[in-house]
Amino acid sequence: MKTYLIDDDRLGLYLTEQLLRAEGFASCICPFESAQQALEALLRESAATLPQVVFLDLNMPLLNGWQFLDALAPYQDRLRGRCAVYILTSSLALTDLEKSRNYELVAGLIHKPIDGEEIRAIQARLEPGFRAEEAGSLGG
Amino acid sequence: MAAHPLLQQPPAPFISAAMSLSSYPFAAGFFSQEAAAVLTLDSGGRISQASPRLAGLLGQPAAALPGRCLLEFLPLIEKNRVQELIAQAAAGQVLGEESILLGVQRPRKYRLALFPQLADNRITGVYGVIGAAPEAANGTLLAQQQLYSVIFENMNDGTFVVEVEPPERYRFTFANRAFGRTTGLDLPQVIGGYVDEVLPEPARSVMLVHCASAVRTRQPVEWQETAEYPTGKVTSEVTLTPVLDETGACCQLVGIVHDLTRQKKVEEDLRASNERFLYAIKATTDALYDWNVETDTLYWGEGYEMLFGHRLRENPEPFSRWADHVLPAERLRVVGGLRHLAYETTDWHWQDEYHFRRADGSLAWVFDRGYILRDEHGRPVRMIGAMQDITERREAEQRQRLMGERLFRQNQDLQQFTYIVSHNLRAPLANALGFSQLLTQVAPDSEVFRQSLQNLHTSLRQVDDVLMDVNTILSVRDQRGGYRPEPVALAAVCREALQSLEPLLESCGGQWQCHIAEELRLPGRRAYFHSIFHNLVSNAIKYRSDDRPLRIEIGATAEEENGPTTLWVADNGRGFDLAAAGDAVFQLYQRFHSDKKGRGIGLFLVKAHVESMSGSISVESQPGVGTRFVLHFNPAGHEDLPH
Repeated sequence: MKTYLIDDDRLGLYLTEQLLRAEGFASCICPFESAQQALEALLRESAATLPQVVFLDLNMPLLNGWQFLDALAPYQDRLRGRCAVYILTSSLALTDLEKSRNYELVAGLIHKPIDGEEIRAIQARLEPGFRAEEAGSLGG
Repeated sequence: MAAHPLLQQPPAPFISAAMSLSSYPFAAGFFSQEAAAVLTLDSGGRISQASPRLAGLLGQPAAALPGRCLLEFLPLIEKNRVQELIAQAAAGQVLGEESILLGVQRPRKYRLALFPQLADNRITGVYGVIGAAPEAANGTLLAQQQLYSVIFENMNDGTFVVEVEPPERYRFTFANRAFGRTTGLDLPQVIGGYVDEVLPEPARSVMLVHCASAVRTRQPVEWQETAEYPTGKVTSEVTLTPVLDETGACCQLVGIVHDLTRQKKVEEDLRASNERFLYAIKATTDALYDWNVETDTLYWGEGYEMLFGHRLRENPEPFSRWADHVLPAERLRVVGGLRHLAYETTDWHWQDEYHFRRADGSLAWVFDRGYILRDEHGRPVRMIGAMQDITERREAEQRQRLMGERLFRQNQDLQQFTYIVSHNLRAPLANALGFSQLLTQVAPDSEVFRQSLQNLHTSLRQVDDVLMDVNTILSVRDQRGGYRPEPVALAAVCREALQSLEPLLESCGGQWQCHIAEELRLPGRRAYFHSIFHNLVSNAIKYRSDDRPLRIEIGATAEEENGPTTLWVADNGRGFDLAAAGDAVFQLYQRFHSDKKGRGIGLFLVKAHVESMSGSISVESQPGVGTRFVLHFNPAGHEDLPH
């Protein structure tokens, strides 16, 4: 499963990658330190190579998580059903959760650090064969 | 021949005779008439002496008259009657004849009085006095009486006559219409009635006292009274003039009643109105004024001196004195605005708010409102207005506004704080939690384990950094409280702040120039300016461009001493997209460069320091060109915030 990680914090990026690997989450993990780079890469992908999952940090310089989502809006139709965006933030602000509901591409909001249970729930949701009730524990 | 003494100077017997005649109604007419002719006759009518006037009357030379008979000069029809009268007078009677024809050629009517001439208690002859025609006299008298009657009946003052009757009773014998009109008393009942019966109290008692006084002193009496009459409350001025009889006793009193009721009411209304106005002036703390446009003077109410302390050398005083006290910066707007409104428009209402110099030099905040009176052409004549000292109110508002701003800032600080806690503190903490979790999942001898342990350590140090930042921010905020500005020498502080950055600057080949005048002082806090210079220059070094050697320029301009001062720090670094950064530039933990390490607290601190010294900061930047921070300080507007 191809996964994008977008986080300007190198430690956070490294941590999420290792946690996903520890759970055997994805075969291909692409870390991005800037949302701008991630956006460019994403738009270059063909329908076949699109990442199924994008873990997106919110608080980043230049292009933050929300701006990244706004930039994706024109490509929404192409991405719908193929690419699920999970916001991965250290912020506990409720407003972020409220705001995330306005974005169709956002499948859920996870507070850092992501834990094994959350990783498995996402796997269950995206890969047929995993148990459905676990997928239900995630909002989105 | 010597003239008879009578014809020169009247001798005493003549006077006594004349006085005895005064009881005869016609006699008064003779002696009041200058044109009387006098003569003496014997019992037969022969003229022994004649006054020159008689000679004139008869058309004869005076010298020719003595020895002639008076009858010669009478028409036939009168001769017998006059002869008879002379005989009666010679017999001791006093006689008067209203109408005698005198003159032979053209006889005319005269009045004749005859009375005995006495000497040594016996009759020696007859005195004759010839006067003007009684018809003419009567006619004049009648006309005069009619005239008086018209005057009395039509004059506005009540007029009355009372007869003095012993013992001290006073009977109305005359009262005109005005008297009836003023008092409301019925004239037919008044005339013939006694004062003590006709007049109501308290007028009656007052009148009786004054009547008695006039009779006693024989002097006119005058008084003012307010009494209840059938017409209501009547205020009048009464004059009572005694009329003396021949014995010198007071027999009549003539009274004139001048009605003051309306005048008194007008006066009373005016007084009450003035009194209300005076109390209104006392009750108000405003400075009332009356601007006479033509003379361009201001008449001030008493509030003016009290409010502003200006002693009025004259009142009214020239308009310009007021204008001179208006704050010069506002004079054109206020004084010019008023004159424009008065002369160039037809508006009647003017109001403005301005600063007004008090006598002690301090400034009062004034709300001024006036009403312009215009003539039929719309030209301004006067303006009545009031200056209100609203300094206290304005200061309270100002305090409230500052307090509001302060609360707003504190609220912003709290929001920043929430942000710190929810993100900047939590971000490294979340990482630390994650790494500690990861450490349990990976093999202890793996590279991931080693890296994760190091990252755990880094994350915890980041947590510590944020806590230090929080501490710094809190200390800036705390110090705002007891803050007292001191004059800070900017150039010296700038040099000092840059000293520690010198090695860093040298290593990157950068240069800096300071254009701040040595003597420039700004009220504030030295440590804050130090921090401002340090942070701004650190930023410039951190975000320098790799394409060109760094140049930093620092400068300050003050328009005047203690006037508004502008301070700037400019660099030729990379700059950033101002539009993209928006208002987040000075917010905590905001960064605009992804590749450079920065915690995003420097500019936040700079802004906090600038604002705590009542300054403001703005930034201009262009990617690839450079960045310029501009700081504004206004020492005059420097205010110690209320706490």
